[in-house]
Formats: sequence, C-alpha cells, structure tokens
Amino acid sequence: MSDVALPGFLETLRLSLRLDPSIYVLLRDKTQGVYYAALIVLLAGVSESLGQSVVLLLNRVRPRRFVLALSITLVSNLFGYLLWSWTIWSVGSFLTRSEQSWQEVAVVVGLAYAPQMFAFFELTPYLGNLIWGILSLWSMLAIVVALHYGLSLEPWQALLVSALGWVFMQALRRTVGWPILRVLSWLQHRAAGVPLTARLEDVARLRRHTLRNWYEQLEARRRSVRLPPVRKKRRQIDSQTNHVHRME
Amino acid sequence: MFTEWSDWLLLPLTALIIFLFWASLTPFETLGWWAGWFGNAIYHDVSISEAEAASPSSRHRHQPATAYVLFLSGIGRVSGQTLSYREQEFLNRLRKRLPDAVVIDNIFPYSVNNLALTGQPIFAGLWKWALDRKLDGPALAGYLINIRNLLQVAIAADKRYAPIYNQAMAEVMLDTVMRYDFDPNSTVPIFVIGYSGAGQIAIGAVTYLREWTKAPIYVISLGGIFSSDPGILAANHVFHLWGTRDRAQIWRLLMPGRWSWMAASEWNRALRQGRATIIRMEGMGHTGRGGYLDHRPPVEGGVANVDRTVELVATIIAYADQPERIPRVA
Repeated sequence: MSDVALPGFLETLRLSLRLDPSIYVLLRDKTQGVYYAALIVLLAGVSESLGQSVVLLLNRVRPRRFVLALSITLVSNLFGYLLWSWTIWSVGSFLTRSEQSWQEVAVVVGLAYAPQMFAFFELTPYLGNLIWGILSLWSMLAIVVALHYGLSLEPWQALLVSALGWVFMQALRRTVGWPILRVLSWLQHRAAGVPLTARLEDVARLRRHTLRNWYEQLEARRRSVRLPPVRKKRRQIDSQTNHVHRME
Repeated sequence: MFTEWSDWLLLPLTALIIFLFWASLTPFETLGWWAGWFGNAIYHDVSISEAEAASPSSRHRHQPATAYVLFLSGIGRVSGQTLSYREQEFLNRLRKRLPDAVVIDNIFPYSVNNLALTGQPIFAGLWKWALDRKLDGPALAGYLINIRNLLQVAIAADKRYAPIYNQAMAEVMLDTVMRYDFDPNSTVPIFVIGYSGAGQIAIGAVTYLREWTKAPIYVISLGGIFSSDPGILAANHVFHLWGTRDRAQIWRLLMPGRWSWMAASEWNRALRQGRATIIRMEGMGHTGRGGYLDHRPPVEGGVANVDRTVELVATIIAYADQPERIPRVA
C-alpha cells in the first residue's frame, strides 16, 4: 500500500468533513494519519475552547489569563480525546472481538473530530445554538461513519460502540477519571482566576454596576466635563417649509 | 465524487464561512467592553446634531420637559448622526409637534459605548471607506455597515450576550438623557422609539433602564424587529407600529417567542395582559418611498406618511398611560 499517494492535510480535512469513507481506510494504519488526526483534534480543541470562552469574559478575566485559561482548556480537550478513543477501542474490542490496534482507533476517532473545528462559530450571535446543534449532529454522524468504514464494523455495531463508548466515558469521568478532571479544573480555575461556569440564575446577578445609584457618579463626572459648544453654521432650517438645507 | 457542481458550491461556502467568522468575532467587542478591556467611557459626538440645536428643544431649556423621547435609528447608521434625510425630517416634525418634549437622536445604538464606527480603534478606516461607498456608491459595499449593525441586533437578541449588551445600551441611554437634564428620581416619562432593528435594542435596554430610574418607560417600536425579550414586560407599555405593507416584519418569524402559539412567551403575555399594543399603519411599508417616514404625500393625495406617523407618536406620548385611548389602526 506504500505506493498509494497519501492526501495532504487540507485534502484529509476536506474528506473528513465530507465523511468520505476512503479517508478512514487510507489513513488508519499510517504514521501520517496519527499526525493528521492529532492536528485535527488540536485545531478542533482551539476552536471549541474559543467558542466557549464567553464565560471567561463574563467574569472579566484579564487578557493574559484569558490565553492561559484557554490553553489549559485545550490540554483538557486533548485528554478528553485520548479518553474517548481509548473507551471506543476497549468497548469495540470487547464487543466485536476485533483485532484493531489502539492507534488505528485513535486515528479514525481523531478524523471524526473534524466538524468540531467549526465550534468557534457557536459564538455567532443568535444563531449559536443552531450551529451547536448542527455540529453535534455532524460529529455524531462522523463518528458512526468513521467506525463503520475505518474499523469495518457493521453500521449498528458502529452506533452501539459509539453509544456505549460514550456511556463508558461518562462513567469513567465520574469514577476513576474524577481526580484527574479535578486537577485539570483546579488548574483551569487557577489560570483564569475567576469562575468558569455560569448558570441561568447568574444572569440576574450580572451587573456592571453594583451600586443601584451608580449614575450619580456619572452625573458628577458629567458636570465636571464641559461639552464643546454647538456648531450651528453648517445647516439651517427653513422655517417656512421646514426643510433642512446643507450649507457646505 | 468530485463533480463540477461541487466546485461551484465552494464559492457560496467560502462566503458563508467568512460571514460566520466575522459574526463570531462580533461579540468580542461587547464581551471585551464588559471585561473592562476598553475602559468605562461613554463617547459622545463632539457636534450635537445641528438641526437639533436650532430647534426649540435644545439642551438648555427654561421650563422642565414633559417627556424625553429617545430615537434609535435603523441599522444604516455609523455614528450618533443620522444619514437619512427621512429620519431627519421625521425628527424635525416631531420636535415641532411636541415643543415641550426633549427629542434626542444623537445616540448610536449599535455600539456598547456609543463610539461611532468611524472612531473605532482598529477598523475606523474600513468603516470610513464603507461610509463613503454608502454615500457615493457602489452601494453594495455600504451594506457592510448594515450587516455589522444587524449583527449587533443579533447580539442584543442572543440570550448569552443580551444581559451585557442591553446593560451597555441602558447606560448609554441614561447617560444621554441625563445630558439633557433628566433627573432619574423624577417621574417625567421616557419614550424610546426603536426604528427597525433598533426595536430590539430599545426593548432590551428597558430591563436595565427600569432599575435606574423612577420614570415610566415606554417603547414605541416603529416597524421594529424584536424578539420576545423580558424587556417587553419591564416597559410600562410597548406600542408596536406595524405597517400593512411592511415586508421586513417577516423577520419576526425567526424569533420563536413571537410565534402566536408560544403562549408563555413575554410578547404573547404582554399582548394578553394589555401591556403591548399593535397599531396597524394602513398602507405603510418599512422604509423608503411609502415607508413610515416618507415625507412626500401619496400620489392619490392625502397626508404624507411621516405626518401620520408623527401624529400617532404624539398621540401615544400624550395618552401613554391610557393605551385604550390610542387608535389601533392609523
């Protein structure tokens, strides 16, 4: 197979976004596949953490800490990817008795992360939730297609493995993985210096001015700053027709 | 697999991605302001609108005002000064009709700190260029401004950013009326007129403006496009002027809370409780010829649209506390 020309990164990306079956088969046992998958996961992580950075800004984080908190989120995303591919691999080998190496699974799962590269667009005002929904569906479809073609599973097996893998991962996060996640979230918290989650009830608390009568200070400032005089020359109003004429 | 047509699809796809990229970056202006990256200042145009200075309701008045009227312009603006001849004409006539009210329009409702686009730190050059295109053509480039302002309306309607953006707007509004000697402890009513996309901004800001002043606050949506925002219930009353030929109102269908069967939405609750009134404007369109602010009399004779609108707004301002006295069709 070594004489088959491997696609470049952009081509890989394009094919993974289209959920093209050939890319999973082509790259799953190549070293290049590992690099590409890692790069896709990394980019998806950057995009996703930027897309979820709203809460950092809500808590008025300083620019430097903003970057620091984002990079720790990134590390935590990479950790999540490793966990995700490992659970799929173990659930898959347990259920289907197939002899795939963990590396192959990691490549295929990594390629399925491609739609998440658009997670940054979840910031789009008003349409963010819609975009989030579309990306989630796209990613779900991607993982099923990737497992189906990349690991030669039947469609129902691919669906079952990804669903069980997800359940298993959630279980892991809450048990064995919990101390690790705690350390990560503690690190994140330290880096940002502010709370990282905001709930609906926090909205009522979000006030730029804690003083109810903060504007009295504004009033004092307004008195101290004199407005420049009004320029009257450039236009005048014709009192008969009430039309404005430009005098330039 | 790779047919010709899929290559043709690339062009609109690229355009979509560029747009989404731009749209995703827009909230950083609001969020950055909130985080304190741009300081606390509220900017004001050095020159107060000249037409306003010549009118009776200028800054220094002798007797106290009976009402404060804040006009928020449509999405074509780049600064606190209006570009639209029709808007100017409307404001002139409104000031004449309401000599005892303070009519204010030098506010730029699409910027968290009232900073004009042409004064923005990084992109001032781009917006100056777009403004020149808007004035001299090609008009398509001028639409950049409209899209940019429309994205700010989307921010004001987005549940994630709205609490921030709307607070910013309420601050700008309060700061502006206080420049015209408004006393937050008085009960002189404030009327916020939101034209087109500014309808959302007017309604959104009321939630917070409400907390800072004892004055009653009314919203007059002039062909406004708005979501079902909590501000609808925070206002004393919302008057929605809806032209029978206003095609832009179709955008309301993008806002689930405005659908009539969403019974629990703020908008439908306000309508049921009689805290919002829809006033149909017979034969009026959204903008331009035949729009709400058209100053030329119709070809078949009669009163110009702008005069009908001014008259209705004046009636609303006179009887805002008795909404049943205001006609439902004008």
